[in-house]
Amino acid sequence: MIYSFWIFDKHCNCIFEREWTLGSNTNNPNALSSGTINSKQNDEIGKLLYGMIFSLNSITQKLSTSISDNQINNNIRSISTGKFRIHTMQTATGLWFILITDFKQQNYSQVLHYIYSHIYIKHVVHNFLSPYDFALNPKEQRGQGVKKINNRHFINTLEAFLQSMLN
Amino acid sequence: MSKSRSSSLSTHAANLSSKTGANQSKFFKTFGDDIWKNKIEKVNAELFIMTYGVIVQQLCQDFNNDYMKINENLFSMGYNIGVRLIEDFLARTALPRCPNMIMTSEVITKVAFKVFLNITPVVDNWSSNKDTFSLILVENPLAEFVDLPHDAKKQLWYSNIICGVLKGALEMVQLDCDIGFVSDVLRGDASTEIRVKLNKILKDEIPLGED
Amino acid sequence: MPHQQRYNNGSMTNNEAIERQRQYEMFQESLPKVNKILFQMILNEIIPLSVRIENQLTQGNEFQNDTKLDTLGDSSFDKASDLDNITKLKDLSINAKANSETHLGNISSPDDVLIYKLSQSVDENENKYNNILKRIRDIGIKIGTKLVNLLIFTNNINLNFKEMDLLLIMKFICRDVWKHVFGKQIDNLKTNHRGTFYLTDLEYPLLQSFCIETNTIPSQLNEEFILNKESKLVEPFLELPVGIIKGVLLSLGYPLDEVICLATFIDKPKERIKNSFPKGISFHVQITKSFLPQQQKQ
Repeated sequence: MIYSFWIFDKHCNCIFEREWTLGSNTNNPNALSSGTINSKQNDEIGKLLYGMIFSLNSITQKLSTSISDNQINNNIRSISTGKFRIHTMQTATGLWFILITDFKQQNYSQVLHYIYSHIYIKHVVHNFLSPYDFALNPKEQRGQGVKKINNRHFINTLEAFLQSMLN
Repeated sequence: MSKSRSSSLSTHAANLSSKTGANQSKFFKTFGDDIWKNKIEKVNAELFIMTYGVIVQQLCQDFNNDYMKINENLFSMGYNIGVRLIEDFLARTALPRCPNMIMTSEVITKVAFKVFLNITPVVDNWSSNKDTFSLILVENPLAEFVDLPHDAKKQLWYSNIICGVLKGALEMVQLDCDIGFVSDVLRGDASTEIRVKLNKILKDEIPLGED
Repeated sequence: MPHQQRYNNGSMTNNEAIERQRQYEMFQESLPKVNKILFQMILNEIIPLSVRIENQLTQGNEFQNDTKLDTLGDSSFDKASDLDNITKLKDLSINAKANSETHLGNISSPDDVLIYKLSQSVDENENKYNNILKRIRDIGIKIGTKLVNLLIFTNNINLNFKEMDLLLIMKFICRDVWKHVFGKQIDNLKTNHRGTFYLTDLEYPLLQSFCIETNTIPSQLNEEFILNKESKLVEPFLELPVGIIKGVLLSLGYPLDEVICLATFIDKPKERIKNSFPKGISFHVQITKSFLPQQQKQ
């Protein structure tokens, strides 16, 4: 069961967010319309989510320097609570891909990598009508950004891909 | 999504951390060769050379052989490609950020140049503090069969697009570098050399309220 | 028409033709290669590049001072072939500085911004818009012209340009040219046998990732409005293949002013859209001069 999916850019901005309505009928072929995409209401939650991952990640970076001098890949991969797992993947360019799921499955790293390498690359990176940087204005940095991925190919491909994992 | 692909991704990141020096170098060589061989759709190099030649020719025509402007425009064209191409590169390789410029130079030559242009430049002329190095392009697919007119030989950096691509790509992984040609066989120099100098590692942004 | 018979002038048997085509394809395989994604990016980058060039040319004198400084700096290292490290470092500071200044200068607007602005300039400054489109087309023409040389040079024995009438030339564009540059063939070729041809590409490869970014999620917007806007944004990208077609025809004896080539968007079957660019492209090619080479011969 997937609850929500998030992308943050290197400016700490949420550039995409998809939340599925909990408990809604996901067998409904029209399930696409359930939940929200890039909803203003989730702005605050997004900031908190990013803040938490950012803090945890800073701690792990510090831990890794004290243990060995090799910082490679000591990023957060997942965080668990009593009800959720938060799966994360960071790219070297500073993008965070985040999936919040139930407790059943341990590893979504392949799913996150697929979203990056097949969906994000194709519909955002190779799309000359999408920006490569969602905040060129300094006022839109450090989590203050407003621009989001709003292109239908990205949204529809992602929906189709994640649909099968909704329940 | 293939299972083998993802498992190889997670293992090679682990591999990297344990490798140093010659081992690391060998690892990247095999890694880059393998991607080029098995995972890259290719086009004819001649078509590529010809197309790039047309672009340079158009710039010469538009700027009336003002080579400084042409250099600038080739660089900026490269920059705009680099900032996008880096994501494609990372998605394909799943490489993490490099902890130092030595590893950066290995990744640039043995993986990036290999995967995009099917060449492997030689890394040379390290500065003593290991933040500046040269890429010697023994082969340069952009410039094959090219012969510059006399006045261009003094001023045009024909392959300056490469510097732009590197600049854009490195900046996206927080490496602020100065990148420029220092010599080119097209100008009659003995070698084709790009100098890469790290200015600073850009700090990751901190969300408002965290500092 | 089966693939192997396409340019057969009658002197070859079918088997010979197949064998020769196979050999040609093997030869093509063996040639040096580069990354296709990089190549396609460079092709697409021609469009924002053309906008930047026009911006600089119309901006006039603002850049003059900078340029002079750079030229001065650069001519000072007209150096001998010795590779003294100190000289090199000095050179680097000059070139890299020039490069970095470029990057900060105002030719560095990102591609997507330039493309959105370009589509606005259709109404605001038609002249500028047309100049940019012409530049893109000119680059295409140059590519097309050289492409013919390249394809002759690679010595495909199945191509016999001397005996090619217009229809065969169009087939050559649909198959060889398109396959070579875009990695696929034109989907459909139609002609009225009087010098007018329609070439249809339902999935022109360079556009397949393109999709408009809107301010809010697209499902809340009027679909037709979005699609129209998207088509306007993408239109300048069509000048490149238009130029290539004209360039190929030019080098095979059809002067630019005697060939009309226009690209328009056409609908494509719904099942072929699937999260790719929603329109196909139709290239309308017309030879305007009353004489047609094959008629002259007769």
